[in-house]
Amino acid sequence: MNETAIRFENFYYGYINGNVVLHNVNVDIGKGSFTVISGPSGAGKTTLCKAMVGIIPYYYGGRYAGNVEVLGETTKGKRVSDLSMRVGLMLDDYESQLVSLTAGEEVAFGLLNHGFAPNEVEARTKQALADVGLPGRENYQLDELSGGQRQRLLLASVLAVHPEVLVLDEPVSAMDPDGAHALYKLLYKIYQEYQMTVVVVEHNINFLLPYATNMVVMNKGKVAAQGTFEQAAAMAYEVPELRPNLPELWQIKLNLEKRFNIKLGAWRKAEDAIKELQGKFVGGELR
Amino acid sequence: MIEAKAVNFAYHRGEPVINDISCKVENGEFVALLGHNGSGKTTLSRLFMALLHPRSGEVLVDGVNIENLEPADLAHQVGYVFQNPDLQILEDTVFAEVAYGPRCKKKSETAVKEQVDAALEAMGLSDLADAYPRTLSFGQKRRLGVAAALALSPQTLILDEITNGQDEQEKNNMMAYLERLNQEKGITIILITHDMNIAREYARRAIVLQNGDLVFDGTTADLYDGKRELSEWGLSQPIIATLSARFSVEGQTAAEFCEKLHLKEGAIG
Repeated sequence: MNETAIRFENFYYGYINGNVVLHNVNVDIGKGSFTVISGPSGAGKTTLCKAMVGIIPYYYGGRYAGNVEVLGETTKGKRVSDLSMRVGLMLDDYESQLVSLTAGEEVAFGLLNHGFAPNEVEARTKQALADVGLPGRENYQLDELSGGQRQRLLLASVLAVHPEVLVLDEPVSAMDPDGAHALYKLLYKIYQEYQMTVVVVEHNINFLLPYATNMVVMNKGKVAAQGTFEQAAAMAYEVPELRPNLPELWQIKLNLEKRFNIKLGAWRKAEDAIKELQGKFVGGELR
Repeated sequence: MIEAKAVNFAYHRGEPVINDISCKVENGEFVALLGHNGSGKTTLSRLFMALLHPRSGEVLVDGVNIENLEPADLAHQVGYVFQNPDLQILEDTVFAEVAYGPRCKKKSETAVKEQVDAALEAMGLSDLADAYPRTLSFGQKRRLGVAAALALSPQTLILDEITNGQDEQEKNNMMAYLERLNQEKGITIILITHDMNIAREYARRAIVLQNGDLVFDGTTADLYDGKRELSEWGLSQPIIATLSARFSVEGQTAAEFCEKLHLKEGAIG
């Protein structure tokens, strides 16, 4: 059996003075998986994310039932800092997470707070900057970096602590498509290199189609689909309101599979789809 | 009508950003302004509303050269909606936010109310008139940004990446509102976007910039014929367009495309 990195058991949550936003969530995120959490706006994706790293309930309070386990430990009664050595978090509003003047200080900030020795801080900072494609930029001022570079810097400061699980909440929401593709490509490279568990909240599944091993689809505070990417996509396809959020290639795949009662490949790239479609189908109004 | 005549532009000390561009957008058009990052599309759109002024050449709005005008002078002709709605919000209620522009123009409160109500109605925000803007969802804030521009009843709306970071439903929702403004009220829409699907589905005309040069000006049907190589301009064909061209069928959506396909004889053993 695969080990679990994050487990939600019968989890309910409501913000203070608010309605219950997560209803009976049961989710298993496997160790070593690259999981995308998707769903329409207001589905509860970000709340789920905050519960994974202990921000909920520690900072937000609110009403809570059930249990969340991260790497075998319950988040109940834990401070965020207790978990942050093992679970790294990157929020969508990356500018608000940057606190220092130079790139080197920014990466070192977290390490120093965790009490690493100075030589270790220096070595890890160097490595983390290299990992995100900013080698030797320790002395750069933050305003000398572009938006995309600042976002990668934030990723470096999360990575430097060597977390076992990396959680990212809509990391590309403020980026153009080129920047988004580049960030996810980099993330995948890091995922492979360090064999960590990666969880990404992203409504545009297209960006992650080449990479995601698993998927959780949320809808109105409930889990609408989960499992391997293939399983979850097939389940989400059956819900009319979720269908448009699936990658178009997979809408085509699932449509044709259903209509002709056949099985097509697990397309991750447009070329795969075009090749298989051209081999098996013809277009036209005939018949 | 907005017309650029041989417009050149560069930021201070910088490389040229807009090179000798001439184009004309007539009233009632729905135009997508496309191009890779740094291609100059945001700059060009800002030249259209006097937020920037050309180094040489002229920009005419309704036939008048706008070189000595400011955005506020043009606000009742050209409305601009920025990418990040949070940066545009100033007031404590949705109503006041939308009323800000007309009040600056010293309109009577009766006229203000009339215009604000119409703008909120057009963007589906009437029920939220008394809400605190910061509590709105992201999609609603975006619509608020459009409503605020609309309240000055401009002929033209320029919208910069207003569907970024939204899910499919919200995107289509926003676009449906814009389509209605265009078709029912004849408002000219200039949409700056990276989203090829949105451009293909809603815009009738596309203007493509690359490194400050105008490289394409024609119909979106022509641009997205599925055959054209768009990657040299930093754009991509929507996957449905590529597939539709390969199979010589017409389909706007995945479902429409699938309907036109048939299994080859003996393809599945």
